[in-house]
Amino acid sequence: MSTDTTDGKEPVKELRTRVAKDPDEPTQPTEASVGWRYTLEQIHRDRTARLGLYIIGFMTGLAVFAWVDSALLDYAIAERFLYHPEQDPVGTVTLLPPFGFENVFGAGVIEHPLGTDHRGRDILVRLIYGSRIAMTVGIGATGIGLVLGTAVGAVAGYYGGWVDDVLMRIVETVYAIPFLVLVIAFMTAFGRDLTFAMVGVAIASVPVFARLIRSRVVSVREEVYIEAAQAVGVKDRNIIVRHLIPNSFAPVVVQATLQVGVNILTVAGLSFLGFGAQPPTPSWGQMLAQSRGFMLPDPWFSVWPGIAILVTVIGFNLVGDGLRDALDPNLRN
Amino acid sequence: MGMARYTLRRLLQAVPVLIGIATITFLLVNAIPGDPARILIGPGAPADAVDAIRAKYGLDRPLWERYLAYMFGVVQGDFGTSIHYGGAPVIDKIMERLPVTLLLMASSFVFAIVTAIPLGILSAKRRNEPSDHISRIVALFGVSTPSFWIGLMLIIVFSFHLDVLPATSLVLPWADPSTVEGATTRLDVLWQAFIHLLMPSITLGTLYMAAIMRIERSSMLEVLKKPYIDLARAYGVPERKITRRHAFRNAQLPVLTVVGLQLTSALGGAVLTETVFNINGMGRLVITAINNQDYQLVMGTTLFFGVTFVVGVIITDLAYAWVDPRVSYDAEAN
Repeated sequence: MSTDTTDGKEPVKELRTRVAKDPDEPTQPTEASVGWRYTLEQIHRDRTARLGLYIIGFMTGLAVFAWVDSALLDYAIAERFLYHPEQDPVGTVTLLPPFGFENVFGAGVIEHPLGTDHRGRDILVRLIYGSRIAMTVGIGATGIGLVLGTAVGAVAGYYGGWVDDVLMRIVETVYAIPFLVLVIAFMTAFGRDLTFAMVGVAIASVPVFARLIRSRVVSVREEVYIEAAQAVGVKDRNIIVRHLIPNSFAPVVVQATLQVGVNILTVAGLSFLGFGAQPPTPSWGQMLAQSRGFMLPDPWFSVWPGIAILVTVIGFNLVGDGLRDALDPNLRN
Repeated sequence: MGMARYTLRRLLQAVPVLIGIATITFLLVNAIPGDPARILIGPGAPADAVDAIRAKYGLDRPLWERYLAYMFGVVQGDFGTSIHYGGAPVIDKIMERLPVTLLLMASSFVFAIVTAIPLGILSAKRRNEPSDHISRIVALFGVSTPSFWIGLMLIIVFSFHLDVLPATSLVLPWADPSTVEGATTRLDVLWQAFIHLLMPSITLGTLYMAAIMRIERSSMLEVLKKPYIDLARAYGVPERKITRRHAFRNAQLPVLTVVGLQLTSALGGAVLTETVFNINGMGRLVITAINNQDYQLVMGTTLFFGVTFVVGVIITDLAYAWVDPRVSYDAEAN
């Protein structure tokens, strides 16, 4: 059974447990959590979704490694075993092609398997350290957008009336301003660095979640168990948090996974335009922007960051599609 | 009759959204630190010169006064003047750049629709066959690839290595032949316009192609499961006719929604595509405006995007009735 379907019996059972206890106290595993175990099993059985999970796992691993080394160890690992991602090396040719290829600057060397950038830094190492930006901002922004959007959408859907009107008009307004333009204006106003990229992208993704959860909540709130909860005096806040949101959440989870991909693309686009991680901190979009000046002599420089973005986003899209299939068998293709 | 009233009601509902857009943009742009007058005449300029410019563009007045003045102007169709472009009316700058971006968007959507709909139908008809797998992989890559990277790769291959397509700017098909390099006749201009448009359209259109293909496929699959399709088959209607007459039209409603929403989001995507190909369109205009704190120009362009979005959504909703006559716009619609 998926988390968003509620057959006739479950709510009654739920109602009984709730009436017996303090209506505001949490109960044992809810319907939603049982559904989760099932969903995970389904995902695991789906070959393409599993591939997506591996990709996400791998990229998360890289990002955690890069974060630990840069934030906690001050690049100790990079300096000991790798090349420093931010410092110009001494004696390395700039714009070297990948190992096995040749260009006007020389032949690729095994020490720099993907080649070097315009300042002689190792591209592979910079890609690895760039992963932390894509992953933190992509996941972080989606997380914030998800929480805010769910709150707004659930409140609007549950109360209806003028609350709904006001909230949804605001959401529509944000939605009507092009995503990238909104984030760029926001970042110009408050700061060009990563934190603001994350907050900006988060705000811009609120409408997606708010509209989705509202459309679900509007139908879920008509269910008998919601009426029952109201009848026994459960507070509105608890009805929204414990009943409405868990029972409306399935499509939101799917959307959130896909949105991480969209947000990673947005963050890359922002960095490409110069809004985001500032040099020398490497990010994929910024590497692509830097490579633009050298596309003729060394096209490889432009190839790698794009592949890194592509692979990461594919990972999230595969898992998102797998989740959709698992949570909503009607949609299965 | 229902349709006219529906349209009117939707337009009225859009008014608060547009006021909201103007307000949000106004506040955002005014939160940008720094002084646009200072940016305009340079950091070394004397203070009284800066003050003169501030006075000229009304920047010395309090925030709320400027907000009200701006809003009253907008209501009367006056979007103000651009400080960065030497006091040129904002609406003129928009109208100057708009055809370029519209052309880019239109050609991207032609590319997206022309490729996505046949592929989506093929994919649905031959479900789980190799052609379906290939289409689905194309769609997956399409939604996962950064558009601007596609642009860079196309430039590397087709401009730098094969040297067959130009890497920068656009040529408008209605441009005067004397202004277009290497063109003497109208035909030359059209040809130049075509080859200049090719790569930017693919760059901007790939994402939309992928999104439309996915929805076309799932929508067709859904419709092909319907009993009336079985009935048509039982009557011996040829498979081609079933696809064309019975399935296709009924499957287009969700596709229309996606196309409508994508059309409006394409304005944002144009920013990146225009940057990659050095095209002077609306997208780059907004970025220039933001970077130079050209308040009125930022607000004018965003508001313009907003209006396009709102109108686009309404047209999409109206188009439902055209595609599916069962949809009605009576009181309970919405």
